[in-house]
Amino acid sequence: MEDYPEELRTPPVPLVSIVGCPELHASISAALSIQQPPMNTLALPDFSKANILSRTAKNRDPLAPPQAPSGILKKDWLLKHRTRVPAAVAALFRADQVSGDPAQWLQACSDLENLKSIIQGRHSKLVVILVQAQAGDELGEEVTVALRKRAEIDSKNLIVLVQNDETERNKSLLKLMSVFAELCSTYYKEEGRRIKARIEKRNFSSVELSVRYCFKVAVYAEFRRDWPEALKFYEEGIRVLREMIGTSTRLPPAQRLVEIKAVADQFHFKISTLLLHAGKVVEAITWFRKHIRSFERVIGSPEVAFLHWEWFSRQFLVFGELIETTSTTVPDTLSPRFGTADNALTEWEFQPAYYYQLAANYLREKRCALECSSSGANLTGDNGIPDSIMPSVYVGQYVRLFEQGDTISVLPLSDTEYTSYALSEAERFQDSYEIIALFRKAYESFQSLGGTRMASSCSAGMAIEYYAAGDFSNAKQLFDVVAGLYRQEGWTTLLWEILGYLRECSRKLNSLMDFISYSLEMAALPLFSDRVQSFSENKSKSGPAGWPTISRREDIQEEVVNILERKHTPEVVDGEFNLQLTEDNAHLDIDQISPLRIVLVASVAFHDQSVKPGSPLLVSVSLLSHLPSPVAVDQLEVQFNQPDCNFVMVSTEEGSSGLNSHFHGQVVQSTSLTLFSNKWMRLTHEIKSGQSGKLECLSVKAIINKRLVVCCQAESPASMEDFPLWKFEDQVETLPAKDAALAFSGQKLIQVEELDAQVDLVLDSNGPALVGELFVVPVTILSKGHAVHSGELKINLVDAKGGGLLMSPRETEESETHHVELIGVSTVAGDEVSKDEVDSIRKIQYSFGVVSVPTLGVGDSWSCKLEIKWHGAKSVMLYVSLGYSLDSSEDAALHRLNVHRSLQVEGKIPMIVGHQFLRPFRRAPLLLSRIRSSSGDDKKDSLAMNESNMLIVSARNCTEVPLRLHSMAIESDGDGMQLCSVEQISGISDEYAVVAPNAEYKGIFSVNPRAINPNFYLGEICVNWSRDLHLGENEDSHVIMKQRLPEVHIEEPPLLVSIECPPYAILGIPFTFYVKIHNSTSLLQEIKYSLVDSQNFVFSGAHNHAAFILPKTEHTFSHKLVPLGSGSQPLPRITVTSVRYSAALSPPTAATTVFVYPSEPKFNLEKSHSRSDECVS
Amino acid sequence: MIVCVAVVGHQNNPLYLQSFTEADDALKLHHVVHCSLDVIDERVNNPKRNAPTLNETFLGLLYPTENYKVYGYLTNTKVKFLMVTTDLDVKDADARNFFRKFHAAYVDAVSNPFHVPGKKIASRSFGARVSTIVKSFGSGTTV
Amino acid sequence: MGREVAGSCLDGVVMEMVSAYCGRFYAAKPELAAGRIEAIGFQVGHQLSERYTMDRPRFTDHLEAIKFICKDFWSELFKKQIDNLKTNHRGTFVLQDNCFPWLTHVSLDPSMESTDATESDPALLGDTAAQTTSMLLYFPCGIIRGALTNLGIPCAVSADMSNLPACSFVVRIKT
Repeated sequence: MEDYPEELRTPPVPLVSIVGCPELHASISAALSIQQPPMNTLALPDFSKANILSRTAKNRDPLAPPQAPSGILKKDWLLKHRTRVPAAVAALFRADQVSGDPAQWLQACSDLENLKSIIQGRHSKLVVILVQAQAGDELGEEVTVALRKRAEIDSKNLIVLVQNDETERNKSLLKLMSVFAELCSTYYKEEGRRIKARIEKRNFSSVELSVRYCFKVAVYAEFRRDWPEALKFYEEGIRVLREMIGTSTRLPPAQRLVEIKAVADQFHFKISTLLLHAGKVVEAITWFRKHIRSFERVIGSPEVAFLHWEWFSRQFLVFGELIETTSTTVPDTLSPRFGTADNALTEWEFQPAYYYQLAANYLREKRCALECSSSGANLTGDNGIPDSIMPSVYVGQYVRLFEQGDTISVLPLSDTEYTSYALSEAERFQDSYEIIALFRKAYESFQSLGGTRMASSCSAGMAIEYYAAGDFSNAKQLFDVVAGLYRQEGWTTLLWEILGYLRECSRKLNSLMDFISYSLEMAALPLFSDRVQSFSENKSKSGPAGWPTISRREDIQEEVVNILERKHTPEVVDGEFNLQLTEDNAHLDIDQISPLRIVLVASVAFHDQSVKPGSPLLVSVSLLSHLPSPVAVDQLEVQFNQPDCNFVMVSTEEGSSGLNSHFHGQVVQSTSLTLFSNKWMRLTHEIKSGQSGKLECLSVKAIINKRLVVCCQAESPASMEDFPLWKFEDQVETLPAKDAALAFSGQKLIQVEELDAQVDLVLDSNGPALVGELFVVPVTILSKGHAVHSGELKINLVDAKGGGLLMSPRETEESETHHVELIGVSTVAGDEVSKDEVDSIRKIQYSFGVVSVPTLGVGDSWSCKLEIKWHGAKSVMLYVSLGYSLDSSEDAALHRLNVHRSLQVEGKIPMIVGHQFLRPFRRAPLLLSRIRSSSGDDKKDSLAMNESNMLIVSARNCTEVPLRLHSMAIESDGDGMQLCSVEQISGISDEYAVVAPNAEYKGIFSVNPRAINPNFYLGEICVNWSRDLHLGENEDSHVIMKQRLPEVHIEEPPLLVSIECPPYAILGIPFTFYVKIHNSTSLLQEIKYSLVDSQNFVFSGAHNHAAFILPKTEHTFSHKLVPLGSGSQPLPRITVTSVRYSAALSPPTAATTVFVYPSEPKFNLEKSHSRSDECVS
Repeated sequence: MIVCVAVVGHQNNPLYLQSFTEADDALKLHHVVHCSLDVIDERVNNPKRNAPTLNETFLGLLYPTENYKVYGYLTNTKVKFLMVTTDLDVKDADARNFFRKFHAAYVDAVSNPFHVPGKKIASRSFGARVSTIVKSFGSGTTV
Repeated sequence: MGREVAGSCLDGVVMEMVSAYCGRFYAAKPELAAGRIEAIGFQVGHQLSERYTMDRPRFTDHLEAIKFICKDFWSELFKKQIDNLKTNHRGTFVLQDNCFPWLTHVSLDPSMESTDATESDPALLGDTAAQTTSMLLYFPCGIIRGALTNLGIPCAVSADMSNLPACSFVVRIKT
């Protein structure tokens, strides 16, 4: 659009001229230019300059016949009217110039005359401005009248401008504006009418003039802002112009067309601008279509066809730019299809990108035409382009300057001259970059509009231009993106074209692998056309690859094969390009998303879903290629994740033994490994996997033509995707495997199971474990089927309730706090072996141990014992696992078998040990601490000093097995021994005592403290027990269970009440019962004493007493009692109250019971018996 | 004159594309047809502009490009029919009529029990019928 | 286009197809037979929908397509419309036919189950007559699914047989 001259691009602005009084010009022209509509001012400082307004004198003989014009539009006509032909001229006179001096008046008159005569020919309007310094300066009426008469103007066209008074000046300026506006309008109207009259009267000699007149009328209308009129005449002009093509004979045909199109271009630009600026988008587009349609076939002679296409492209470009600059949006109010049903407008036509794209297309067309023309021109030889060709004064015409001495004349050109001139001019431009720029603009715009296909089409256009310009890397990049879209949507023919370019790009870039892969992809495309196109321009239209046919596909495949075999095809040799395999092998990877899947796909299926290790396993490998010619595979290497399973198939036909010498796996000779187009090659092979776990086929490597290694990712038939592109072909699809089940659900991976362990692992356990003992779990390993090598036994103890660890994390440091502990492992075989075994215990932690197992032959067994100790009652899971390998080799070490066993073991507390203190028999000391601490906080037992207190320790068996009690003792530390003697009164008479489940054993100790101590520690109860097992077992597995006795309070009682009565009584026979109260203090003690009636006894004496006991003396009460009932009878209850300590003391009931025989018993040991009975109760 | 007809499937893949031109622009017609899919997408996805014809199968002129005009048709089953013509003045009614006949031919072709939905139409009788329809385009005769 | 086929003939063909698949081809695997019958229905529905939607404007939403199935499509197939259409407006539609033509020849008599009056032999088809009858419904389910799928609505269709010969088809649109 910038190519157009300024005057054409902007709407015409009326021009006025002011002459004289230069000091005022600035303010006047400024005021005019900000007018709405604005006016341009041509300011002339004085009247002598006015000549430039004059018309160049044309000395045309009015009588001569009208000469045919030599062109349609003069180039400078519009510019002239915008800059040099004012619609109105204002002559400025100072008031003093015209009022005072007659000489000055005369001067003014002559100036005015002069001016009048100058503008006469132009029909410009005249305005006279009188400049006054002050508003008050009255001008004589006669002066103005005289001036008006001189100037021959209306009174309103004479304006008084007051120079120094701002308001007055503005007022007069405003008046001037309106006068100017009116005069301009009149002027342009008159001019327009004048020319219009000629058109209407058909008063013109040639059609050129008709066009010119139309243009002028339209421009004059534009000056008046009469857009509809302007539009009408522009359209009329272009219509006439179109008709001229056939009729005009003024110029040689090529140049004639060029001129007409150049003019049409201007008309088109004007019309489009007018329509778009008026917001008439639909009309503009409709107009543009019409314009295009009327000119699209006016190509002219083939030599200059490129000029047409250039012009045509320009139409689109300009219109696109116009639409873009007016930023049109598609109006919503428009009818759905924007026009009549038969001639609907479409969405894209509202988008500048649409026009850019077409402009680029046509520019490409131009380039093609230009190439044709210039090649034609070169053949005829350089026929001398005239040097001095230049544009003439007419739009779209060229002339030749002819110098002859001093005279320079302008000569018309012949068409041949013009053609070679145009060719040479055109060749100076690099169209490619312009085309690329246009396509890029369109591409970006379409991309943002969501038109991806349009965008890629533009992208392809760009790429082709880059390709044509030799920028192959840029081209390749763009082509790759475009190819992606075509692949995705399955437009194979388009893909073929793009791949053809890509192939050539890689050839030019010397990238062999790309060349091979693009070639192979092309060859494998589903294109079956057998149409042979014999058009010569075939190549340019369908890209370097030509039209897709089967034979072309075969050729391309052949070409690749030739490169691989290092044969030179003639095509390759003659160019400067020579693709050579530099390395030994070309490597191509094909995965599941690769476009090369159509070249080769490998489907691998195992026939089973799982298999035992070592057992034979069938695997089907199927290969499919869509390449048109058969592909001979030299060698096929199938790779698994277990490299042992890899195997290679070698075609015997080729017999290329050199290739597989490095290969360790299986090598299979196969008769023929030739892939036929679109037919599965199915191979079944048997492999063995020795390793358990996942066995997956990773890839299939095919070596083709000895040098091309194609590595295909293996695909499971079950999850195999359709072939890109081929999936749309209406062909019978074959299955990768004959077996339909395998073809639909086959998998490329298989689970290899573990070997069945032929080893027994036995855990024996006898009942619950007892806390404290060394619980033994025998473990036996018995090999039944195979030898055990480098076996290892792992032992793990886990809390059965979950939580895993047997200790809380905080406790990990202190071994005492483990509830369960793995102490050790011992073998049964014998002492010396166990010594060794101890060394081989590699690691034992509290809950974890690893023991190595010696090599065992078939049928051998080995056993060991786990020694576990419970520190607390806890249920524990014992996990034992045996890991071993089948032989001692390195390989086997990697692959181990495992046998797991587990056992839940309860930990139980074997015995509950309790204890109880008893007072000395029938001696009740007043223990003050007890009285004081009546609240019961202090549960401490109090013992009286120097008395022999009883301690009864009981051990209850709470297990389900009988236990042996070997000893029960109180162990006190050395200090305590001296302060307090503890003696066992009754002990275990035999070696041990058997305590049955739930039975209780009691030991009796006498405690005789000898010192006062509020917190005396008596010692620990030590119980030595073991399980009651048969002879010969666990001789030494005694367990010592210790329980600490609580601290006791030893004090000296102030009073001691002792009761004396006979060991037994006989019914009805009276006996004496003494109560002795000993005051061990050095104070006088007052006591109260009371005796409560008992129904079994009658007694003598008072019920209540009071007494004073002297220090260190003893007071005795005695009663005579007669028993009334037999059996164990409680004596009457005695309560002694110390007044000093206000504490009551009554002996416990147990101590005040006496057995009453009905008659005199007859036995000897009655004393000791009754005594022990008392103790028990 | 109709220079090209095409059937395009759900995935915008060509199911049938036949050009009827002596000139060497078959590849160009592929491009034209492919690009016109953008217009169909635009019309179908942003339909608010053309509310009255929202659901019509006949989509009208898709776009004019160079010498061609592309007309489109979208069936209820989301199959697109495209027709490229070089005629300057195409009667809307003619285009509609053409597509109606073309659609009928298509339905008969895909109702063939041996046709797999979504695959290219390779039937010869379909091709022959389409040629007849194409030849009769604009002449006012019915097939 | 309207080629006429005798209705009873067609009924017979459908019955025979079902019995062939259930009784002969996949006698042991009723679920495989059901799948095959559904697949045949799918193809039929796919192709018929192509034909029956030929002269109508495109559907704007799912409901419109379902309505087409209920009215025009059903009329073309059975010369009657679906009697009741319910939807939860979240992609589930229940199409109820109070007198489904392919079930009119089926009667379920609990007392005489062994001597069922169906044309197909119940002893071959399965344990109960109800199961046999439900086999008959896989074909129309497939037709509905095929038609809707072709109209761009992927869905799952199941049938529910209440009291013969009424039945309802439940369409769940996959989102």
